[in-house]
Amino acid sequence: MPKTALFSNTLVIAILVSFTGCMLLYIALVGPLIAALAVLVLVLGLMVTAERTGKVEPVYHAVEDHKGISLAVIILFVLALPFVLSNNYLLHVAVMGGIYSIVTLGLNFQVGSTGMVNFATAAFFGTGAYTSALLATKFGLSPWFTTVAGVVAAASLGLVFGYPALKTRGYYLSLVTIALQVIFTLMIINTSWLGGPNGIPGIPAYSLGGTSFRLPLAIFGMELPYQANYLYLVFILLGLALMAASRLHNSRTGLAWNAIEQDEIVAVTQGINLTKLKLLAFALGAAFAGLAGGLYGHYTSFIGVEDFDFSKSLVFICMVLLGGMDNAIGVVLGALLLTIVDEKLRDFADYRMLMYSVILIIILLSRPQGLLPKRIRRYQAAKSAGEAKVQL
Amino acid sequence: MNVLQTEALTINFGGLKAVDEVDFAIKDEVIGLLGPNGSGKTTFLNLVSGIYKPTSGKIIFEQADITGAGPNVVREKGIARTFQTNRLCLNLSVIDNLLLGLYSQQKSTWWQAVLQPKRCHKELNRNIEECLEVLHHFNPQLVAKAYEPITAIPLIDRRRIEIARAIVGSPRLLLLDEPTAGLNTEETSQIIGDIGKIRNGSQKVSMIIIEHDMVVISRICHRVVVLNAGKKIADDCFGEVCKNEQVRRAYLGG
Repeated sequence: MPKTALFSNTLVIAILVSFTGCMLLYIALVGPLIAALAVLVLVLGLMVTAERTGKVEPVYHAVEDHKGISLAVIILFVLALPFVLSNNYLLHVAVMGGIYSIVTLGLNFQVGSTGMVNFATAAFFGTGAYTSALLATKFGLSPWFTTVAGVVAAASLGLVFGYPALKTRGYYLSLVTIALQVIFTLMIINTSWLGGPNGIPGIPAYSLGGTSFRLPLAIFGMELPYQANYLYLVFILLGLALMAASRLHNSRTGLAWNAIEQDEIVAVTQGINLTKLKLLAFALGAAFAGLAGGLYGHYTSFIGVEDFDFSKSLVFICMVLLGGMDNAIGVVLGALLLTIVDEKLRDFADYRMLMYSVILIIILLSRPQGLLPKRIRRYQAAKSAGEAKVQL
Repeated sequence: MNVLQTEALTINFGGLKAVDEVDFAIKDEVIGLLGPNGSGKTTFLNLVSGIYKPTSGKIIFEQADITGAGPNVVREKGIARTFQTNRLCLNLSVIDNLLLGLYSQQKSTWWQAVLQPKRCHKELNRNIEECLEVLHHFNPQLVAKAYEPITAIPLIDRRRIEIARAIVGSPRLLLLDEPTAGLNTEETSQIIGDIGKIRNGSQKVSMIIIEHDMVVISRICHRVVVLNAGKKIADDCFGEVCKNEQVRRAYLGG
C-alpha cells in the first residue's frame, strides 16, 4: 500500500479494515477448521507486518477518526449474517461468540487493566445464569427482569470475590480465585434446589411485544431461524458493553487501573483508593459476565454446572490473552475467534481440549502480547492540543 | 504558621526504632533532610506520606491531624512525593503518568465516564492542558514526546516527569527523596534548577528534600534537619549544622 494513500484516504482505510475484519470472521465461521486457523495466522501476520512497517498506529487512527463508518460496516455485517448463513448451527456459534465476548470484556477489567488474574469468571457467568434461570422458572418472572437481577447478583458476588484481591497479590490472588471457582461448582452440584448435577431445564425465552424470541423471525417476507432474534439482541448488548469498556478505558478509572497494575505504591500515593478501584474492577467485570450468563440461559433454555466450571474460566482467560490485554477490540476478536476454533474442533471429539491447548500454546509462544496488544492512549481532543504545542 | 508538624513521631520495626520521637516543623520553606545511611530519612517521608503508620506520635498538616491516614488520603489533602528510585509507570505515556498526578483532583466518576462522556472529556482536556503546561515549564522538548511511552524517555527527563507528576496537583507540601540520585554533575545542576523553578513559580509549595550532595543542600535549602539512628540531632541553617559536633560525629565517626 503506498504511503500517501494511507494518509490521505483514511476513510477508505477505515472501511477496508472493518470490512476485512468482518469478512475474515465470516470465513472463519463458515469454513472448516483449517480456514479458521488460517484466519488466525493471517491476522497475526498482518499485525506483525503492520507493526514492522509502522503502519499500525495510522490504521488505528483512521478507524478511530471514522468510528461511525466503521461501526456502520460492522452493523450491516451483523444484520446480514442471518440472511446469508444457511445453517442454524453456524448462527448459534455466532451468538455464543457474542455472549463470550461480553464476558471477556468484563474479565479484561481485571486481567488486562488491573493485572489481577481472576480464575473465577465462570462463576460470575454462572451466577448470572442461575439467578436469572431460577427466578424465571420458579417464580415465573419476566426474563428481562430476571436478567437484570442476574447482573446485580453477579456484581455482588464480584464484590465478595474481589475482597481477597485486597489482601493478596499476583499468584496468591489467582490461587484464591481458583478456590472460589471450585467452591462455586461444588456448591451447585450439591444443592438440590439449584438443580444439582441435573441443571435447570425449561428456562423461558425472552419475548418482545408478546412474540417469543424462540419463534422464527419473520422479516421482509422471509423467515429467519429463531437464533437471529438472539443474534441481534446479543450483538446490540455487545456493542453497548464495548462502548462502556472503551469509555472506561479512556477515563481516569481506566488509567487508575493501569497504575495499580504497574505499581501499587505509586498508584496509592497519587491518591488512588486501591480498595475501591480493585473492587470496582471485580464488580463491573462480574456484572458483564452476569449479563452474558442471563443471556446464555434464556437462549439455550437449559443450564448445567459443566457450563460454568474451572475449565470455562481458563477459556475466558485465554480469550483475553489471545486477543490482547487491555485492548477492548482485541479481547472481542480473541473471544470470537476462539469460540469459532473451539466449535470447529468438535470433529476431534475426545482430543478437542488437547488440540485447543496445542493451538493456544503455539499462538501465545509466537506472540505473547496477543493479536491486538495494549496501546498508548490517544486522547480525542488532546491530539489537536498536542499538535498545536508541537508547532509552537 | 506551620504547614506540617510532627510531634514525637515514632515507628518501630520489631525492636528497631527507625524513627524515634522526632519533632519536626516546616513553614513556607525548603528543608533538607540529612543523615547517614539507615538514619531514618526515607522512613520519615514514608510516615508523612502515609505509607507507614506510626507506632506513636502525631502528624499535623495544616492544623488537621492526619496521623494514620492512608497515602491516598494524604495526597488528596495536598502532600505529594517522589521516590528514590524512579517509579513511573513504564508502559504508560508521559501524559498518562502526569494525569495520574491529577487523579485526586479529578471529579468524574466511573459511571459518568460511561454515561456522560462529554462532561468527562471536558475535564480531561482541561487536565491535559494543565499537564502540558507543567511539562513545558520543565522541559519544552518533552511536550512533543507527551504521547510516547516512558521507556522512550532518558533518565533525566524521567526524573523531571516524576517531579512534574508530584506538582501538577499544586500540592502544599512536596517530599523529594533524593531527586539527583544516579545523575551526573551536569544533570544534577539541571534538576536543581528545575526544583528552584517550582519555588519561583506562582504556587506556594513547601519542600522536604532528602539529599546527599551538600552543594545541592547549601544551594536550595533554607534549613537543614539531621537524623541519626532515627533521632533528630540537628535543626538549623546549613552553616550552623556543618559546625555541629554531633553531626560531624554521625557522619565521620569518632
